Amino acid sequence: MKEDKEFNNILDECLERIVVDGETLEQCLEHYPEQAAELKPLLETVLAVKAASAVEPRPEFKARARYQFRSALGEKAAPKHRPFFGWLPRWATALAIVLVVLLAGGGTVAAASNSMPDSILYPVKLATENVQLALTTSQLSKVRLCAGFADRRVTEIIYMAEKGDAHEVEVITERLDDRLETLVVLVSELEADDLKDGEAMFTTSGGEEAAAPPAEPTPPAEPTEPTAPTEDTDGYSPGPEEPVSPVTVEEGGGIWGGRGQAQSEDELIMDVFYSAANNPAVLRAMLEEVPESVKAALLEAIAVLENGYENVLEALE
Amino acid sequence: MQGEESLVQRAQKNDQEAFAQLYEEYFDKIYRYLALRIGNEMEAEDMTQQVFLNALRSISSFRWKGVPFSAWLFRIAHNQAVDHLRRKTKRASVPLDESLVSSGDSPHSTTERKIDIEQLLVATRRLTEAQREVISLRFSSELSIAQVARVMGKSQGAVKALQHSAIVALRRTMLVTEQ
Repeated sequence: MKEDKEFNNILDECLERIVVDGETLEQCLEHYPEQAAELKPLLETVLAVKAASAVEPRPEFKARARYQFRSALGEKAAPKHRPFFGWLPRWATALAIVLVVLLAGGGTVAAASNSMPDSILYPVKLATENVQLALTTSQLSKVRLCAGFADRRVTEIIYMAEKGDAHEVEVITERLDDRLETLVVLVSELEADDLKDGEAMFTTSGGEEAAAPPAEPTPPAEPTEPTAPTEDTDGYSPGPEEPVSPVTVEEGGGIWGGRGQAQSEDELIMDVFYSAANNPAVLRAMLEEVPESVKAALLEAIAVLENGYENVLEALE
Repeated sequence: MQGEESLVQRAQKNDQEAFAQLYEEYFDKIYRYLALRIGNEMEAEDMTQQVFLNALRSISSFRWKGVPFSAWLFRIAHNQAVDHLRRKTKRASVPLDESLVSSGDSPHSTTERKIDIEQLLVATRRLTEAQREVISLRFSSELSIAQVARVMGKSQGAVKALQHSAIVALRRTMLVTEQ
């Protein structure tokens, strides 16, 4: 085993000498006379592979792709229209929600928290989330909240994808991206004390903890069968003892709320790992079922999820 | 190219020129990686475009913190390739794409190159998924062992071992093909 490891290192050193430093095969072999006989055929193979795989994209494809990419760049740089409540400063958003609660009662906010993107109350749901985050003082609680909100976005993506609304899936994916980005920042700011902190946070009328994401309805056509074990991008394949199940929306809201609030660092990390593995797997399982027109948007959502959670996990480390 | 970290930071602030430079730097490498992984020119083209559109969408979520931009970008390509291949295995296998040739070559060298590519594609199909990934990233896209390890989420030692076993397997297969 040790010899294998040593040979692997020598082989790689030779490859670096040839590929990076520009040495010839013969020059390289002079450094390793004892292994030369074994190295030579392998290095010849690599040189053949390199030569064969040096394919270039067609010029017409490159030109077309460049043009389309430049257009996408331009669109991204163009100013976006502000979302509902987006023009308000944070304090004003909080005030607006408080007024809504006072005027329409806590039931409105509770109903909004159940809403899906095609509902008239959905903007209230988004604004309420911002207020919850703004008024929560504990850093750990903010992390839990934000992670729960990210789970909500996944639920909404599932709902809209099943309805065949690719545009809305893209819009929610942007919101998901923002939530995961915020989550990375919040996790990065966590300190040791925060990780031991399980104190209560912002509360709404009736004493219900706002940090527990409110209940959401189960999307009508959400997959109910456990997803078949799916090899993830790292080659990780859940065994039969750990089936990948679809996002479940339970009392408490989202898979985070459904599994209880993380009270310690270990629980928090486990929850993040769970969401990081489960949410992309659920969306991937949907790819075969949704209309063709939604697949590209769903793939983008999966990419955003995977990249986002990867950053969150790194920040946790 | 200007310092990559600075370019990425500018791209994250919607600097079009910075992102365009990153695009030019990595476009061919990503295409070569996908061409070898997928073995189909048209599909590799579509997926290359999609990789950069996805990167554009999610560049704001990228955090440097020791992860090179290349590893992040190839990770997007890797994820797309995995999704694509998973869907493809559910359908009938597609024959090798004979159009995967270097368009700038002379007729003679094109014929030679084409044979080599066909041999290579056939040979890589006998590799495991992880071995094929290492060969594509290491020799087609010219990533370092450390970068390949980041993309694949494996240790450098594991990647070196995969590299060794993949080269041995390729050598064996290509010798048989030649005979």
